[in-house]
Amino acid sequence: MTDSKYDEIMQLLCDRLSSLTNTHIEITPETNLISQLSIDSIKLLNLIMEVEDAFDISIPINALADVQTVRELVDLIYKIKTTAK
Amino acid sequence: MSSTIIELNAPQTQAFDFQPSSELQIKPTPTLNTLVQQLAGFDSLTSALEYAAKGVTGYNFYDARGNLRSVLPYSVLRENARDLARRFMNFDLPRGSRVAIIADTSPEFVELFFACRYAGLVPFAMPIPVNLGSRKIYVQQLKGMLESSEASIALSNLDYIEFLNEASKETISLKWSGTPGDLKQLPVRDVDLEYNHADETAYLQFTSGSTRSPRGVVITERALMCNLQGIVRNGLEITPQDRSASWLPFYHDMGLVGLVLAPMVTQISVDYLATRDFAIRPLQWLRLISRNRCTVAFSQPFGLKLCSMRVRESDLKELDLSCWRAAGIGAEMIRPETLRAFAEKFATAGFSESAFLPCYGLAESTLAVTFSRIGEGCKSIQIDSKTLIDKKMAVRLQADGRKQSEFVNCGQPLPGHTVKIISDDGQQLPELMVGSVLVQGDSVMLGYFNNPEETNKALKSGNWLDTGDIGFLFNGDLYVTGRRTDVIIVNGRNIRAQDIEELAEQQPEVRSREASAFGVTDEEGSTTIVLVIECRLTSVVERQTLITRLQQLVYMAFGVNCIVELVPPHTLPRTSSGKLSRFAAKQGYIQRMGLGEQLSLAESGDR
Repeated sequence: MTDSKYDEIMQLLCDRLSSLTNTHIEITPETNLISQLSIDSIKLLNLIMEVEDAFDISIPINALADVQTVRELVDLIYKIKTTAK
Repeated sequence: MSSTIIELNAPQTQAFDFQPSSELQIKPTPTLNTLVQQLAGFDSLTSALEYAAKGVTGYNFYDARGNLRSVLPYSVLRENARDLARRFMNFDLPRGSRVAIIADTSPEFVELFFACRYAGLVPFAMPIPVNLGSRKIYVQQLKGMLESSEASIALSNLDYIEFLNEASKETISLKWSGTPGDLKQLPVRDVDLEYNHADETAYLQFTSGSTRSPRGVVITERALMCNLQGIVRNGLEITPQDRSASWLPFYHDMGLVGLVLAPMVTQISVDYLATRDFAIRPLQWLRLISRNRCTVAFSQPFGLKLCSMRVRESDLKELDLSCWRAAGIGAEMIRPETLRAFAEKFATAGFSESAFLPCYGLAESTLAVTFSRIGEGCKSIQIDSKTLIDKKMAVRLQADGRKQSEFVNCGQPLPGHTVKIISDDGQQLPELMVGSVLVQGDSVMLGYFNNPEETNKALKSGNWLDTGDIGFLFNGDLYVTGRRTDVIIVNGRNIRAQDIEELAEQQPEVRSREASAFGVTDEEGSTTIVLVIECRLTSVVERQTLITRLQQLVYMAFGVNCIVELVPPHTLPRTSSGKLSRFAAKQGYIQRMGLGEQLSLAESGDR
């Protein structure tokens, strides 16, 4: 399912995550947002706001319950972005 | 006279100008009503709604972009609730049967809540999932509430129905679950809706997300009517010009009782923003207040902090908050710095410090216990820190070089209610002595549903409710200095220490009674959860794996980060009966970390 839009989302998300979490570990699709990046509730809100603004989407809160890794978050954004149109 | 006034007061369809693309021309309910205002004093929720339905005011729901999505005047709410009540009659349930509703900020939730009361059923609100990766734990939470309440019916809108269906499996008491749409498929039974009595249970309020032992507070119509009357007449002095705005979740007591039920029993209009939308863009709440000229809006201190942190200077010039006369603050320890920072930031937007209205309450006393005096702002006093810790006494000593702690005046109890402070051995203490805060009065709960053990712990003889908070009285005003160590408050969420310890003890590496959880608060007032585990693992890798897993579990269950410390067996202090002492565990941790000096003294009333 890799197409250019998917890669673009992945790239943006990895960039945002590394500046948001100020971490030196390399962020990959398998990076766990909770255990490896310690995304707390405030950082999560910031991230959602940036993602929503960047892609002009609305992320439903119920969908986040199934998100633990960077890849899962990218999948979710991609799905919302491609079905919204 | 009033057509110009109505014009001027007419709330805006959009909370801000951008995007008028929606063709729907819906208008929010007006601020000024056509009906003579009655300030509570009804004998039940449904009789209050019967009255409010004669006017033109009601509830308004806005989306994340500030557009008005739906309008629910009290008149329509009454119609819809009565219609749904007659559909509930198809289940032939005994009066008082429990109905679980996942409470997102929507008109459907409010309609179902009132439908239950018209049908003589007892509704309760269940939370929505808010944390990353929380599915499993969220479903367990729902299941815990369904079982503890012995719910007969459970409802959720489409967004959450999957979680509800998963939780409903094997819940024996449950006769039916579905969406509001499913309920509307059922026929309308042609029956008379019975009158509700004051002694009937109005609703249950769950106070903890615990998976093993959720506690449902039982609130009668009498307690609810009593508390609402105190809130609107004495606490807020509501007038016909008032209008509310709220982002507080409907599954919290402050959101439900304070900002759904209290406006209805005074027939004023409310503008709602979903909690998630507020949390992501707090500016939207302030825009609603500004554009719709709202006068009453409550928040936890954490919500104010979010506004101070996330609203940009450039956004301030479009705001006019001078209409906001009652900025109620409650639901967690209030730190004067948080209020000062907010007032400073929003002064240029017309916010007046005198609007701050600190109050104190808890779900076990319906909602409110004390209110400070309206229009006077936040008052606080400076107390000598050392005397507070050593002698549990609040002394206003002003001497150079001595550390001071500042505490907020939460005001006096509502009429008909009494607050007293007792010592560890149960003796009533005089003013300025620090001890447990107890409340007595008609707003106090009947108990926890089906849970005599927890009920007996909370309700002392003479029906005195032990609030679990620590504080003192001065000139009859309540000052809260901290919580006992069984509840940790992080970013506005109440987390029971026991729930965190239970999570840890479910791990194969952790034995029961070898985990202790508590909160450590730094000078800025932010609290971190610390989990100390007695651990026999020697491999560095295994130890790190356990730490990571525990942090992840705590995050998924409670949405907060925590520090996990592994210590050798027999490190954690125990009481004579072998129970772990969280207070002593915390002291030990503070010593090991050399944190003594840095810690805030706000919790010095701990025991």
